Amino acid sequence: MKEKENISPEFLETIERYYNGLMSKEEKFAFEEALQQNALLEQEVEDIKTLLFSIEKQSLKEKIDEFHADLPIQLEIEPSISNLRFLNFRNIAAVVILFAVGSFWFFNASSNEKIYDNYFKPDPGLPTMMATSDDYTFYDAMVNYKQGDYKTAISKWEKLEKLSPNNDTLIYFLGVAHLADKHIDKALSYLEKSSETTTSVFVEDAYYYLALVYLKKDKRDKAIEFLKKSTSEDSKKLLEQLK
Amino acid sequence: MKETQEIDSQNALINAIKSNDSKALKSFYTSNYYKVENMVLKNNGNKDHAKDIYQEAFITVWQNIKNDSFVPQNETALQGYLYKIAKNKWIDVVNSSRFKNTKLIENEYTLYDKNENDTDEQDFFNEKLEQTMAVFKNMGNPCKKLLTAFYYEKKSLRNIAIEFQIEENTARNNKYRCMEKLRKLVLASKS
Repeated sequence: MKEKENISPEFLETIERYYNGLMSKEEKFAFEEALQQNALLEQEVEDIKTLLFSIEKQSLKEKIDEFHADLPIQLEIEPSISNLRFLNFRNIAAVVILFAVGSFWFFNASSNEKIYDNYFKPDPGLPTMMATSDDYTFYDAMVNYKQGDYKTAISKWEKLEKLSPNNDTLIYFLGVAHLADKHIDKALSYLEKSSETTTSVFVEDAYYYLALVYLKKDKRDKAIEFLKKSTSEDSKKLLEQLK
Repeated sequence: MKETQEIDSQNALINAIKSNDSKALKSFYTSNYYKVENMVLKNNGNKDHAKDIYQEAFITVWQNIKNDSFVPQNETALQGYLYKIAKNKWIDVVNSSRFKNTKLIENEYTLYDKNENDTDEQDFFNEKLEQTMAVFKNMGNPCKKLLTAFYYEKKSLRNIAIEFQIEENTARNNKYRCMEKLRKLVLASKS
């Protein structure tokens, strides 16, 4: 491609008029006809138009940063952000409070009741997906238990207990359900019965919850006695705490 | 008062944008920004992303108005159009592998800009445009200032003459010479 020659100032101004839509109908018609007949001229005009548009676009690009700097300050904080911040604040607050309560309790070797509150978590229950027809009521109640509806679970299990009073699984869960529902004395009798069945898979857990029951009843020596029988991690931890 | 009334109407706004009316552009820019920012912030972006994507969309809208490829259908068409373009651009960014890979390196991040509807011809034009813009961006003053005043701000040669404290005829000559200079710089940048 040969070196482009200078365009004349008049030619530039003609293109400017064309670009800005300032030509009369007649002039525009004649100009476009000339372009159609001369590909080189047409290319020239296109190039100048690109130049003009580039100047505008680049200028705008530089201008909008000024616009951006002048954005009105947003008074209303965007809701989801404020929620998030609030949530974070709440989480932090919760951690601080937990830590404060935890250390208070830790350093003051506080009452058995508090230890109970800190350690007691309801038994997670059994998986409920393999409900055969025989066990239907048992697992149906287990669903209630897991949902925290201990009263319904207890009433369903009590009916089963009448049919098979020595079922170790049933006895154990009646114990932990009563404990979760804060019936300490009932929990104690079921869990004692459960802990007597030393062949039961639940015996370790029964010792642990029995220890918690005694703690709740402020009988630390009894609690330690049962914890010593148990070899579970939770029991060891709790025992450390009580010594 | 007269200005705000003008901006209320879509056609008036479009005409104002076409003539690069500074007040209209600024008001159009500032009144639609936060909606886009919210959209970007809610979709894994930060404020820098929002600014980049909004400015890109803003320039696209401006360009489409200039090219007459946008015709408003209702009272808030232009505002909705701007939001839609920004949203589509942001979706492209989020879906791009570059975004996924460089999400943590914000400073090195530049927006991915590719319109799938672009034909080869448009690609060629856009490439030429970008190239010319880069040359103009780095052009020295007073040429850059003069060309901006005349072609972007649409100031008359007479007003430019007053502003630059020169004769009107000198302004006309200088404008011409600066255009020639820009043309040559662009040609040189291509070789």
